[in-house]
Amino acid sequence: MSPKKWLCMFFGTVLLLAVLLAAFNFVTDPFGAFGDRFLQWFSYDETNNPRVAKTTWLEQHHDEYDSYILGCSSTSSLPVEAFNEYLDASFYNLFMYGADMRDCEKIARYLVEHYEVKNLVLNVYIDNGVTYDDESNGLTHGLHYAVDPDTSALEYFTRYLFADPRYGLAKLQARGEDTILPQTFDVFDEATGVYDKRARDAEPIGSLASYLQAYPVFADYPQSGPYGLYQTASCMESVAAIRDLCAGAGVNLIVVAGPVYIDYFDNFAREDVAAFYEALAEVTPFWDFSCSSVSCEPRYFYDATHFRNNVGEMIAARIFGGDAVWMPDDFGTYVTADNAAEHFAASLEPTPLAEDAISAQVPILMYHNLAEEGDGGDTMSAANFEAQIRALAENGYTAVTFDDLMAYVYEGADLPEKPVVITFDDGYLSNYELAWPILEQYGMKATIFAIGVSVGKDTYKDTGNAMTPHFSYEQAAEMAASGTISVQSHTYDMHQWAPFEDGDGPFRETILPLPGESEEDYVAALTADFTRSRSELEAATGQPVNVLAYPSGAYSTLTQATLTELGVRVTLSTNPGINTVVRGLPQTLCGMLRFGMNDTVTPEALLALLAG
Amino acid sequence: MRAKIIEILTEICPGIDFEHETALIDDGLVDSLDIVSIVTELMDTFDVEINVEDLQPENFNSVDAMVELIERAQA
Amino acid sequence: MAFTSWAFVALAAAAVVLYYLVPRRGQWVLLLAASLVFYAAGGAGGFVWLAGVAAVTWAAGLALGRLNRARAALAKGDRAGAAALKRKKKAVAAAAAVLCFGLLYAMKYWDFTVDLLPASVGGRLPRWDFVMPLGLSFFTFQAMGYVIDVYRDKYAPQRNPAKYALFVSFFPQMVQGPIGRYDALAPQLLAERQIDWRDIQFGLQLALWGYFKKMVIADRAAVLVDTVIVENCPYGGAVIAFGVLLYCVQLYCDFSGGIDITRGVARMLGIELAVNFRRPLFATSLADYWRRWHITLGQWMRDYLFYPLSLSKPFGRLGKWARRHIGGLPGKIFATSLATFVVYLVIGIWHGANFRYIAFGLWNGAVITASLLMERRFQSWKAALRIDDKSRPWRLFQMARTALLVFLGRYLTRAPRLLTALTLLWTTVTAPHLSQLWDGTLLTLGLSAADLLVVAAGVAVVETVELLQERGVHIRERLAGCRGFVQWLALAALLTALLVFGIFRAGYISSEFIYGQF
Repeated sequence: MSPKKWLCMFFGTVLLLAVLLAAFNFVTDPFGAFGDRFLQWFSYDETNNPRVAKTTWLEQHHDEYDSYILGCSSTSSLPVEAFNEYLDASFYNLFMYGADMRDCEKIARYLVEHYEVKNLVLNVYIDNGVTYDDESNGLTHGLHYAVDPDTSALEYFTRYLFADPRYGLAKLQARGEDTILPQTFDVFDEATGVYDKRARDAEPIGSLASYLQAYPVFADYPQSGPYGLYQTASCMESVAAIRDLCAGAGVNLIVVAGPVYIDYFDNFAREDVAAFYEALAEVTPFWDFSCSSVSCEPRYFYDATHFRNNVGEMIAARIFGGDAVWMPDDFGTYVTADNAAEHFAASLEPTPLAEDAISAQVPILMYHNLAEEGDGGDTMSAANFEAQIRALAENGYTAVTFDDLMAYVYEGADLPEKPVVITFDDGYLSNYELAWPILEQYGMKATIFAIGVSVGKDTYKDTGNAMTPHFSYEQAAEMAASGTISVQSHTYDMHQWAPFEDGDGPFRETILPLPGESEEDYVAALTADFTRSRSELEAATGQPVNVLAYPSGAYSTLTQATLTELGVRVTLSTNPGINTVVRGLPQTLCGMLRFGMNDTVTPEALLALLAG
Repeated sequence: MRAKIIEILTEICPGIDFEHETALIDDGLVDSLDIVSIVTELMDTFDVEINVEDLQPENFNSVDAMVELIERAQA
Repeated sequence: MAFTSWAFVALAAAAVVLYYLVPRRGQWVLLLAASLVFYAAGGAGGFVWLAGVAAVTWAAGLALGRLNRARAALAKGDRAGAAALKRKKKAVAAAAAVLCFGLLYAMKYWDFTVDLLPASVGGRLPRWDFVMPLGLSFFTFQAMGYVIDVYRDKYAPQRNPAKYALFVSFFPQMVQGPIGRYDALAPQLLAERQIDWRDIQFGLQLALWGYFKKMVIADRAAVLVDTVIVENCPYGGAVIAFGVLLYCVQLYCDFSGGIDITRGVARMLGIELAVNFRRPLFATSLADYWRRWHITLGQWMRDYLFYPLSLSKPFGRLGKWARRHIGGLPGKIFATSLATFVVYLVIGIWHGANFRYIAFGLWNGAVITASLLMERRFQSWKAALRIDDKSRPWRLFQMARTALLVFLGRYLTRAPRLLTALTLLWTTVTAPHLSQLWDGTLLTLGLSAADLLVVAAGVAVVETVELLQERGVHIRERLAGCRGFVQWLALAALLTALLVFGIFRAGYISSEFIYGQF
């Protein structure tokens, strides 16, 4: 081969490799820079670079939205659904982690110039006074060239076509590991643009002590400061630019200062903080949530810097006057240039919420079958049951329902002094024949969790083997109509008992997936099962079904998340303990603890349990 | 003189055919340490002065070259 | 401007393309211009010093040339005139040496000297605050080599200052050598030449090979080395030894890779630079190692330090004394051995201002001198044990022994301080914790298993090629004779390795870290 020919081969090979690299990056598109045409996996792309991938998403989906939310990562918790409802709009949460106000300004300009924009919600975070127009890693933090006048198309395409192929490789690898719930590589919900918090919002929350144990960051808060808010002026210039932009285009601009965890303020001088927010007020009136009693409560935060979606619900309710959401009185103030100084003089030293003002201790009792004669095990004698109920009544306990708990958590309704919840699992006929009259007698309310498939039965569905008789839908309706009893779900048929089922199995003995069952099949099966359980119960009793006791107490995060999406608001485990329910945190009604009651428990022992 | 030189060389670098090699330096048979030893011996034996400038490969590649070098120095 | 930067690649490419496009008479000017661009990119501050060294040595060369001509014109037998001229020459050369080496000393060693003095004295002395320009050591050595050669009347000096400037500043060469000799290099730089496509091909191949060694192997190995060889190193001796081993790999691949890039770029310009490395792994003794490692520095030291030193009057007297009082072979080579020792000490100090480099020089000097003095005894042992000098096992033994000696010396050049080096060495021997080699500790040092595999495979490729070269195979010539498909395969493999394991080695962040784990 002649040297000239070799040189041609050299340049040809270089070109070939460059084309291969570019093609690979184009096809896998791990940053969503080219529209992710082949994989269409934006939740992954947005995790790698929300700025670019969300812009690309909008290029393909902008006609589904008419309103946008802008800001850094804590903005994720501003709830798209609530804003949609209050403003009759379709919002897309365009937050970008680590966004500074220059990013927001560029995005806002891009939106207004390219798409129909009715409302713009802008979240201003204290960090926006620290960093501005930050030039960090272009691949992961760069803006789309269509958004950013400082990035040329050439630079943009070079950057993403010739990016490290390991990003694309990682995406292909992650595809094989993708699950329904988010993992570290796909933390976004594509359709709304928010962080996918289905797993975090399904986690049971209880006492402050256990929360601090699970999230020690709040107990030993990292102090990385002091930071100077030197970029305040630049930040406010961008806010002003966004304000003028919206005014010019007739866009409804809502500016919010989202909640900041109280210890985070220690990274700054307090007067700097006040000056920052007052400077904001000079530019535009805004809803201030930055520092209030909410800031002092770790359970309202996912982590050191991000408030929970539940707090986002409070924000929307405060702004638009929604009255179905509880929030502390000092949460949320409309700040203008006139009242800013006065407001921040006081608000930056909030009074923490008293534990008994936001939470209550609620024990739950779990009964099963009753009989005239107890068996010394799960079947309790009617006499013992009556003795227990009498003991409760005589010692000042009030039996509350799950509706009462929901009212407490969602709307902030009050609970009686000594609340207790009485529950029965499985739906035995004895609940109707023996328990109900006793409860009526003492004015105690209770909830019964019926297994749909065994309602009205005394034999197993396929094999005909005898089983303890269960009450019928008519009897359920009768009890429900009395107001004393609520009949809720114990699944339709996910509490099977292998020896008496037909076939070889595997059987759904609990609500957990079967061995080897795919996530999709499981969610479908669970959805079908619960939907049937609920519709049959609701048809019989005429009352809503939104509480479910897990058969044998077993469940997974996917179970909880699926049920939450199906509208189940309370779930119960069989782990013993007293529940801490917290106002504003529906998660405190997830996987609730219950004391198992059997024939050996004396009334005295019961009282001792309740006393903690 | 030739025989004397070969004697000196063989003592310093045993096992090399000095009669016939003509690229002692270029082929790396004799290294810089040997050269200095050889030069010192030659200066001593023949009572001549050899300068650093003379330490060029071409002056030490063969016995003949060394004879020439010494004769030049003696003159 | 680092060799691995796109800017250097662009500069080299532009220089090569334009070199063959401009009129032939202007070719050397283009090289000078490219060299100026190269230095300008490194900042103007250091440039002044380099220009100063160039000016001094150029002027010294001119003066010495004039004196040489005067010497040649002298009547035969004019001893007094010759002596007077010699004195003048000495003065000129000494002045240049004092200025140039003085500057180098000030840049590299002054602050170190001040720190050595007692605080009462050192505290009163000014410190040298100027930043040392890139490549000053090589620049000074090359320029002073020229001055000494002219002093020795080896060749006539260069009159044209611009041409001389090109000789001292040729851009691919000045950062880390090879140190060029004027008589070999200048004619090539100043030649007017036509394109030889073979030069382009072989030069490009050599440069790619250099990039492979540097980016795929050296830069990767460096990550682990930087983690392990630190003060208060928390790891066991075996891991430390592994770190030093990788440092040997890193150093060789980085240095020789850089030289390959230099020689490759020069070759594309039709210029053949001096060889600086000749497969040091195959050295059979420490002295042999230094004839294979950084060859141009060793040759410089030989021609301009070792020869003059060992032929100097005091050393001559010392030699006579040793012969009388020590006797035998040791007596005969005593003075030479001492000169050798001094050379290695200087080489050690040349590496930098630190006790560990002095220790490094002492270590090399001591081993080499000792082996010189003991050589006869070894010969007799070998004879007694009936060891065949030429046998392969013996050669392998020699290679392993040499590698071990080099390896031990590398503790000194890599550790941040002499004390740290000795501590690390001590730990290696006393607390090896061998199990750390396979219990997963190695994977916590910044390199993944895949990275270690790439390093190992890279070293295997490099040493296979070197084994072939050691056996006399000319790789590029042999390859050029292969079938086209084989040639393409070799090229594609090298380019792909460069792309996948070189260019994209660092900077990757896995997605769980990108968004900060919220």
